[in-house]
Amino acid sequence: MSTAVYVNTATYAATHVATNMLGSIRSIVKGSGLDPGRIRESWDILENGIATWLASRHLKAVTLEVYDPRTSADDLVGRFDFTIDYGYYPDGDGDLWLDPDTVAYAIRKNGAFPARCEYRIVADTAPGRPDVRGWATTTYRSTAGFTRHVVGTAIGGGSLGAGLAYYSRSGT
Amino acid sequence: MSVVSRTVAAIPVRTSVATWQAITDLLAPANSAGRGRLEAVTNIAAVLITAEYTRQAPVVVIPTSGPRVRIRTAHGTDAAETQAGEIPLAVRPCAASGWTMSLPCGIDDIEEIRAALDRHPGIEVRDVTDGVTVDEPAEGPATEGWSIDYEEMERP
Repeated sequence: MSTAVYVNTATYAATHVATNMLGSIRSIVKGSGLDPGRIRESWDILENGIATWLASRHLKAVTLEVYDPRTSADDLVGRFDFTIDYGYYPDGDGDLWLDPDTVAYAIRKNGAFPARCEYRIVADTAPGRPDVRGWATTTYRSTAGFTRHVVGTAIGGGSLGAGLAYYSRSGT
Repeated sequence: MSVVSRTVAAIPVRTSVATWQAITDLLAPANSAGRGRLEAVTNIAAVLITAEYTRQAPVVVIPTSGPRVRIRTAHGTDAAETQAGEIPLAVRPCAASGWTMSLPCGIDDIEEIRAALDRHPGIEVRDVTDGVTVDEPAEGPATEGWSIDYEEMERP
């Protein structure tokens, strides 16, 4: 039945993009010299939130925010965004893919963070999202003084695409 | 020792956490003595499933009695085909305490995962490119177990 096929394809695409987006963020964490323990220990909460809000189409972006806890305002030192495009493949054939080279390129261009830096993962969602256990509301740290660099689409599935961008201090 | 193998559908049929929950269901019934140890390593196992190490090499369970169990995960289009053919185990090997387990892991992640498993005695990690050389349980009193000798079954 065509409806069932559509539901499965959309669900599979959401699961594929959610889990691989989290896996890619973990790659960035490790590749940038940050402690992967924090993301690993919260894996179930993070994956559940991202997958739930992708499936409900409320997820707009997932951000890895890196900050320096020694500064007075826990200032931003770097940031990676996975921005969701629900119409990336308007006539998507259900192909599921991940481009680790795009992630590796962003890691290489950004460089490593000092070991003292910490990080958190922020989901940008549209109003009306379902609540997910373990997540709380917050606001982004200021990106004033940073330049956003768009790398390209890193993950695709069905009609979904997840584009990757990173931030570096302007003038560096 | 006899070996029983199973393949469990992973991403995109299930999230990485849901895949480990399906493996946990396969190995230990709810409220059994050994199930809590499986649930306690959910996040660690989910990381390994996401990296597809469990596609390349099996999770190996050595129960206190009965056959060794190897579980792999299927990913991508293979996952959708696998889900319909998932078969429960006749005896769930982690229902009782005393079992041991080996998880496959890539060399880039093995130090991190080994350190994370320090708090989980009896669950070890091995290089995904190594053969399965998991220690057998120490010799103890004979137990009333059974196993399927697949080699015998395949003999003409």
